[in-house]
Amino acid sequence: MSQRWSKLLNVLNVMALVIIFFHTAKDLAVPFVAEVVYRDRYVELVFQCDNVMRDHFIAKNQVFTAPSPESFGRLRAAEVGLLTCHDYDVLRKRLIALGLSENRLAQMGLEAIEERAKDVRTFVETHEIRY
Amino acid sequence: MCGHSWKLMKFAISLLLIIFALCVSALGADETAFPQILRKLIMDNGFTPANDLYLNPDEGLAPIGKVIFESKKLSLNGNISCQTCHLAKFGSADGIPNAAAIAGEGEGPERLLSGAKLLARNTLPLWGRGAKGFTTFFWDGKVDFSDSKRFSQFGSNQPSEDPLITAVHLPVVEIREMLDEDDFVRARKQESVDSSKDVYDAIANNLKKFEPQASKTLASYLRKSVSQLTYADYARSIASFIRSEFRIKETRLERFVKKTESLTSEELRGGLVFYGKGRCVICHSGPHFSDLKFHTVPFPQLGFGKNGFGVDYGRFNATLDPKDLYKFRTPLLYNVQKTAPYGHSGSLATIEEAIIAHFDPLRLANLSSVDALTRHEFYKRMALSSETATTVGFLSFDDIADLTHFLKTLSF
Repeated sequence: MSQRWSKLLNVLNVMALVIIFFHTAKDLAVPFVAEVVYRDRYVELVFQCDNVMRDHFIAKNQVFTAPSPESFGRLRAAEVGLLTCHDYDVLRKRLIALGLSENRLAQMGLEAIEERAKDVRTFVETHEIRY
Repeated sequence: MCGHSWKLMKFAISLLLIIFALCVSALGADETAFPQILRKLIMDNGFTPANDLYLNPDEGLAPIGKVIFESKKLSLNGNISCQTCHLAKFGSADGIPNAAAIAGEGEGPERLLSGAKLLARNTLPLWGRGAKGFTTFFWDGKVDFSDSKRFSQFGSNQPSEDPLITAVHLPVVEIREMLDEDDFVRARKQESVDSSKDVYDAIANNLKKFEPQASKTLASYLRKSVSQLTYADYARSIASFIRSEFRIKETRLERFVKKTESLTSEELRGGLVFYGKGRCVICHSGPHFSDLKFHTVPFPQLGFGKNGFGVDYGRFNATLDPKDLYKFRTPLLYNVQKTAPYGHSGSLATIEEAIIAHFDPLRLANLSSVDALTRHEFYKRMALSSETATTVGFLSFDDIADLTHFLKTLSF
């Protein structure tokens, strides 16, 4: 085998390795690390966004049912509170950019909701009357 | 593998690491719109620059007021001055939960341990007192000039049209605070104009005798003879000193509003919690970061309380209106970082705890270890705090930390 052919094979090997590294990093390592690093923050923001949306909904209804300077003030504050959902949106988009799939994010969101549900189940298990 | 290939490999790995680092760091990118949003929120909710808040019609009396403020002869029969409990090192308060007043020695915690008589309430700091728009004094608003009725225990005989001067009339005649109960005081204990006039005359005479130079200067300033000086004149000088010494000064927040300084990302997020989901701004609004109104927040009660046995009915003590039970004036937030402990009875040691008491008071209540009356009182405070409970939003640990950072931008 000529030396030139050997060099070409080396270059091809390196290129193949780079491509393998790149795809491994892009499709496996980066999403995995991103999930490990940001999972708690994402789950927290799912809860917080849900919370401020409920607050906003109540504040908006209060303006209609009991209009007053205080209720308008609460609505204005609740609108600013919705910035939490902006944080959630930004983190969600960035996690997608880092390779996490919509399905995986949806699953994380469900897990966040179920974390609360687990508490209720635990509570029921503790206090339920059993025959 | 040859050296050339290895170099290529190292280059590829480095490139991947850089790409990964860039992706991760992008997640923490600053939101440039947030400072503008916060600036607008601050302005829309009544922020006023420090210099515009300053108001001191008797500026020239401030040096005389300083002498009287520091004089223990302001106490007719005790050993205490205004300064004893309003100390610079404790952010113009005394650093202890319940004020340690007469019959003690030293300052702050030292005074507490020296056998001083304790008051039911936490010493209030003096920042911004008497500034523009500051009309309501003390925890329960027993001096309240916020409307034309001009409420105080003097009824229709207000010693001054100035609420601060009126407020300065109260601590010196408060038994256990700056006045001990001797025969002279006991004979004049009933609340009447004549009996209080006797006590005020006695305090003024005490000051004329023991602070002759300050009295002479005060008389000369007011174009009176020393013998004509009344307690109201001394109170006027004290008010002038308080206005000057404890004036609101420029803060980091003001420099942020003026765009001469930026806030950290924690402070910025805390500001958005303050004006947003925390809804702190509903009550902590206006030039002093207080609506100067009265609300029930179920802070734990510490000490014997204004009404005894660990009970403090708050604003009710001033108005006798059951609607005012357990209400206290919204505290001002300037220099809040320096004025621990917090709450009307100083029961909370940190700003974080004070924040938690607004939205999750049960977290701070050790209900199984307190007596039944304390628990019952806490229950009543909780029940009557529904307005606060439905106003303040849920905050995470991070939100509380950010909010604390934001509140510290109000220090000077």
